[in-house]
Formats: sequence, structure tokens, C-alpha cells
Amino acid sequence: MSNFVKRIIVTLATALLMGPAWAAVTPSKPMSESTEAMLEQGLGIYFQRCSFCHGLLGDGEGPAAKYLDPRPRDFTLGTFKFRTTESGELPTNEDLFRTISRGLQGTAMQAFDSDLIKNGLSEDERWAVIAYIKTFAQEFDDPELDPVATGKVIALPANRPPFGAETVAKGKAVFERAKCWSCHGKLGRGDGNKEFRKDDWGFPIRIRNVTHPWKIKAGGEVEDIYMRFTSGISGTPMPSFVKSLNEDDRWNLANYIKSLQHELTGHQTLRAQPVQGELPEDPGDAVWDGAQPMDMRLAGQVVSAPRWQNPSVEMVTVRALFNETEIAFRITWDDPFKDVTHDKEQEFNTAELSKVGGMSSYVEANDMVPRALETFRDSIALQFPVRPPQGTKKPHFYRGSSSDQVHLWVWKADLDGTEEGNARGWKQPIKPQAEDGQQIKGQAVWDQGRWSVVMKRPRRTDDKNDVQFEQGVFTPMSVNAWDGSNGEHGLIMSLSTWHYVFLEAPTPITVYVYAVLAFLIAGGLGIWLMRKAEAEGEPDSRNLEEAT
Amino acid sequence: MTKPRIGTFLSVVLTLLVVYALVKWGIPALSREVTSLPFPLPVPGTLMFFYMMLTIIALFLIVTFSDEGLNDFLRPVKKLLRGGYTKILRAVVLTAIPAVIGWQVYEITVPKVEVPSSLRIQHPSSNFPKSFEDKKNPIASLTAADVDAFIEQAKANEVQFIAQVQEDIDHWLEEVDPEHVLEFFPQGSMKKLLTEIAAGEVNRETAKAALSEKNLFEGRALYAMNCRACHGDSVAGDGPMADGFKLRPINFTDNGTIETIVEGYTFWRVSNGGPGLPAEATPWDSAMPEWKLSLAEEQRWRIIQAEYDLAQKTPRIPESH
Repeated sequence: MSNFVKRIIVTLATALLMGPAWAAVTPSKPMSESTEAMLEQGLGIYFQRCSFCHGLLGDGEGPAAKYLDPRPRDFTLGTFKFRTTESGELPTNEDLFRTISRGLQGTAMQAFDSDLIKNGLSEDERWAVIAYIKTFAQEFDDPELDPVATGKVIALPANRPPFGAETVAKGKAVFERAKCWSCHGKLGRGDGNKEFRKDDWGFPIRIRNVTHPWKIKAGGEVEDIYMRFTSGISGTPMPSFVKSLNEDDRWNLANYIKSLQHELTGHQTLRAQPVQGELPEDPGDAVWDGAQPMDMRLAGQVVSAPRWQNPSVEMVTVRALFNETEIAFRITWDDPFKDVTHDKEQEFNTAELSKVGGMSSYVEANDMVPRALETFRDSIALQFPVRPPQGTKKPHFYRGSSSDQVHLWVWKADLDGTEEGNARGWKQPIKPQAEDGQQIKGQAVWDQGRWSVVMKRPRRTDDKNDVQFEQGVFTPMSVNAWDGSNGEHGLIMSLSTWHYVFLEAPTPITVYVYAVLAFLIAGGLGIWLMRKAEAEGEPDSRNLEEAT
Repeated sequence: MTKPRIGTFLSVVLTLLVVYALVKWGIPALSREVTSLPFPLPVPGTLMFFYMMLTIIALFLIVTFSDEGLNDFLRPVKKLLRGGYTKILRAVVLTAIPAVIGWQVYEITVPKVEVPSSLRIQHPSSNFPKSFEDKKNPIASLTAADVDAFIEQAKANEVQFIAQVQEDIDHWLEEVDPEHVLEFFPQGSMKKLLTEIAAGEVNRETAKAALSEKNLFEGRALYAMNCRACHGDSVAGDGPMADGFKLRPINFTDNGTIETIVEGYTFWRVSNGGPGLPAEATPWDSAMPEWKLSLAEEQRWRIIQAEYDLAQKTPRIPESH
């Protein structure tokens, strides 16, 4: 009984402390003692909604599990990553509720809150399934391990200065001092380690790139971030910093991490910047800073076998410059490892996945392709239609089709150069153009977990298989990307759908001529009327006075 | 006449302004009252032009009805032109009017830049083969033979599952060591079937409901493996891949998606994907795969059954029925 009262008090206290950012995922009432009926309801939901990833036994081995990275949680171990409890402790009911309600961003675990999605679970249903999930791990039966009863729950600090220049600057100092960069990289791109690390289950982990908010699993708000390095992430090398950093430090650090989050540009058309004189081949050239950036989101290649739903490159940023004769693109994207070798021997044989009616057409996350350094190269490709687009009609964004070919500019890290090629659909590999048709120049740099690649070419060429860049035309453009150490090569890649690149046409001189002409004619007419009125003189001053 | 007057010219200008304001803001404001919609209905540009032309013609007729009227109208204009209202005002007006005209000419002649866009048709029928219209889901419409075969398998405790779920079931069998493989189903119909088998008297309706549960289980597994990445585990079109596509994956829980089409159409779309679409549905932007290249017909039908079930929708009935 006293336990129950305590639980209510703690729940209420956390609800009050956590404020509006957490309000949406805070249950209206605490979890009730689980009953037979509740467990039965929970089983029904689990069977229908959870078991295909988490397995009938809750061991994270459901039919879809092996194609996913990160793997679905194994509930039988009682190890949960995202908690508001001290390092190594069990999660609270509210922690489980939060994860189920809003999901884990950037993973296959999606939001189940019926307020967020039409087909979701009501609060009672979520509590029922939590009651059932807790039956998988014996730890939950042990009152001595109950984090609430034993006072292992972490509250947010009482003093929480708002997000701003001050907290961010203080947090940056903490980031340096606590050596966060030794894993997460100096700029937070997850590039601090020189090799892969593994989690407790033996799977290679990706150190979080904290600048990509859509990948911050348990929420990107300051409160969420604070909890992550306060509680630590069980089963991974991410420790709790409770002992080494005080509350204020952790709060400021959370603010700094929040400040690193990238804001997506949002537009679908890239406006190329006109430049006088030579276009730079060096990605570091200052001219690039004046060009408009466009962020392009990428998804895993899931259109045809071999399907890949664990892509590494999920965003590239493109800029473009042009002059009378040339066009240049600079593509930047984050990649924690610089992969500049390519071992053809280790390429994946897609035959098994390409069968009709086989086990699956998806590539398994860890067992089918090597996810290791020095196996496959990093690579990026820009894709354009060969034929100038008619209205909105374009080739298919996935390598065109037999009737409508695309032109690809494929940069490969092992060659440190860009190859031009053509494709007519995904069924055949990209066909490289002849040696004398290769016209793309440019340099590439990998620095602090980010590739920057420049591709420069004459705007117009004689080759009928080439894209041509005319001013005033919206040219469709899309991207394919490969991260070699993520096992990506061939069609195991990420890709974007069509965007546009646009070279602004200079306004024709006639436009200005007409405007000036109109001004002059109207002005002349005015002056003529003025002269005429003056010549007539005051017609009848008496009438005028009468009228006024 | 001592009646206070504002002069013909000023009344003409004021009339034009009042009419413009009425059409531009008055009618939309009134429209909100009439329609009680939360937004005003704007007056189309051509209608505005029409109203203003009518007003100008009416004013012209009134003003030019007599020489006196025309003189009244022109008097302040002429006074302005003579510099009667100070020379500065004259200079300002004689520059401002040509400047506005020049600017308008520029606006009309300067090339406009617009991203190509088109209305997209989500369920195009222009190339939908009629032969698919009446296709029925063989997995969802169980025959007596299907049910009998299932009863036999269940009685012998030799129920066959699709390969994709077998491994997980094997784990469960090893761990739990149950009397019967079907015990992992929590549904009432399956429990009832097991009781009936134990009692030696199997009701066909029970068996049919149980078989349907088994099929849904397999369909959901195939959905989770193949479709979930884009369409999401709650079939809301919000899977982990969804943000990477220009055309977001369809949200099956939306009214107006899978419940407005016949099952045969769903099967045709799943089978032929983006490349199977006609031009009005912008196939070049669709990431929907041609599933006939990866999934067997039976697998596609299983998924379709589960998809409708997860979305809590039913397909449209073909019109010939």
C-alpha cells in the first residue's frame, strides 16, 4: 500500500517537473496493478502489433528482426536503453510508456500513441501491453529492483536555465572537458572513434551523429538529451555522467547538444549561383559559401531486391555554381569513416534475394554484407534525365527506365574521381561512358566526419547521352549514396527522389526597354497635356470661385 | 448653390475606391456570413475586372452626359496641370503616374519562374485492366476445402506455416513445449478450436474463424517484413523510410485510400507498383515497388488481407456484384 502511494507521488512529481515538452507522453494516470484481464489484453496487442519484430517470446527475434539495425529490443534481459533511472537500473513504467507512445526516432520502433496516429493504442491499451512486456523479464518481479520503490529515479534539475547563448557556451566547455568528442567527434558527427564499436549483443553500433535530430532515438529536446547522459544507455558504451558532471553541467551540455541540431532547408529547387570567371574545383573554396544550400533527404533503396532499410547516408546538402560555359556542384554529407578501398570479392551476390516468392528480398542488417572498415568504398552519384523534361514528365527517380534514360555522375572514393555513366532502369548496372566522354573534374575532401565533393563539367556537351544545362530550365536532379563501411555497394544504397536544379536566366534587355518606353510615353503625354492646359489659361475665374 | 460639394472629380475617384473595396473585401466578408465557412471566398480577378469596367463605363456616361458635367470633372485636372495646386504637386503627379505605368509594364513582361507542378491522380484507372476488377482475395475467401484441410492439419497437430514465421514459432515451441502448436494464438476462436479438437468434435465455423486468424498472422508478418519500412507498422504511411520520398507512402487509415478501391485494384497496384502507373499519376516519383518481381501471388494476397485488417477497412465491392 505505501509502495503504491509512493509510486503515485513520484509519478505526479515527475509529471509536474518535466513540463510541457514531456506532457504529451506523460500518462494521465499511473499504471494500475496488473490483472489477468490486463495481461490478456496486453498479450492480444503484443501478438498483433509487436511480435513480428520482438518475437513471440519477447527475445527480439521476430520474423522482421534480422533485417533491422538497430535490432528490436530483447525484453527477456531486462536491459532497456532509454530510461529516467540510474545507470544499470530497470526502467520505470512511465519510461516504457514514453517509448511506446512516441517511438524511437530513426528506428523501426514507431509511435503507438493513438493521439499521434489514427491506428495507435489508447492509454489503457499501452498500459496493458506494458504489463505484458514486463512478464518477459523476471527482474520486474523483484521488488528490490523496482527503481521507484528504491529511489533510483532521476528527476530533471530544479534549476533549468533556458536554452540560449549562455547555456550553449557553458555546455560547449563541458563537451570539451568531458571529452564527449572522443566518440561523438569534435563537431558532434559521431566520427570520434577510428573503428567500429560493438554493443553488448555483439552488433556494430553507430555512434550518434547528434547534428541529425531525426536520428535522436529517444527525443531531441533538451530534457531528453539531459536524461541520456544522466542515465546512460544500457548495453552500449554510452555511460552515465552522474559521477563526473554535476546537474548544471549536464543541463548546459544538453543545451549545447541541442544547439548542434541541423535545421533542414525544406525547398525542392536548388538555385545555382551565377559566377564571373572560373568555377572552383576545391570544395573548400570560399565561393561556395555564397551559393544557396539545398538539403536532400534520402531513404534506403527498398524499391527492388536487394532491398536495404538501414542506410547510413540520410541527408546530403548540395550547392551549385555556374558561369557562361560551366556548372559545378558541391555535395556534402556526413560519414563517420573515410572508406577509400573497394574489394570486389566481397560484393554481395543478390541472386537469392532476387527470387520471386523467396524468404525475403531485404538484405539482413548484419549477416549478409560485411559492415567493416576497408571493404567497400564511399561513393555519391548525381542523377539527371538525359532528355530535357516535358512538363512534369521525367524518367523514374530510381535509375530511369528502358524508354527514358538517366545520366549519372558517380564519384568513387577509391578512384578519387567522378565517372559519367548512363542507366535505363535498375535492372542493368550503370553503363560507364567512353573514355573521351568523361568530362567531370573536381576534388573531394573528408574532414571531421564529412565528405565534400565537387563535380564540375561544361554546361553543354556534344554527347547525346549527356544532360545539358540551359538557363531558365528546371532540370530534375536526384542523389544515390553509398557508405562503404555500412556494407553499401551496388543497389544496397540510399537514394533521393527528384528535386530540381535551376539556372536563373538573365532578364532579357527588352523587358527594361519596354518599361522605360512606357514611362517616357506616359510622361510625354503628361507634359503635352500640361502645356495644353497652360495655353488655355484660366478659363473663367468667377465660375471657379463660385464652385469652391 | 450653397450645397456643400466635393466636386465631380473627387466623387468619381471615391466611387471607384468604394466599389473596389466592396468587391475586394466586402463580398468575401459577406461570403463568410452566408456560407459560414471558416474562410472567405475571394472574388476572381476576371470578375473584379468586370465590375470595375462597368463602374468606369457608368461613371463615364454620367460625367460626359453634359458639357457642364465634363467641365466640372476636368476642372481640377486642368487646375493641377496648370500648377494651380502648387508646382511641386504637379511635378510629383506627372512623374508618379508614368512611373506606375512603367512598373506595370515591367511586371507584365518580366519572365516568371515557376516550378513545374501537376495535379496527381492517386487511384488512376486509365490503364487498370478490367480482368482485375472482379479478382477476389483467395486467402480471405476461404473455401470448404481450405477449412477441411486446416481441420485435418490441426487435428494431427501438423499445421503448416509460411517459412517466414516458422523460425520464431520453433523458438516458441522449444521454450514452451506446448501440447499443440496453435496454442500461441491468443484469440478466442483458436482456443475454441483447440477445445473442440480435444473433445473430438470440430465445428466448421470455429475452424474457419481460426484459419482466418492464422492467415492474418502470416499476412501481418509479411507486411512487417516487406511493407512496414515505408507504410509504417500502424499502416499510417509513416514508416522509417517515409521522409525520404517526395510522394509520401499512402496512409491506409485515411478514408479515401484502400477502402475506395476493389481488392483486385489493390492487388494490381501492389503487383505493378510505381512503374505500372499511367502518366497522370506521376509514376516517376513513386517508390512503390513492382512486388510481382519479389513476392509470389499468394504472398501478395496475404499481405493485402492483413493490410485491410490492420487499417480496419474493407475493400469496395465490385459493381458487377
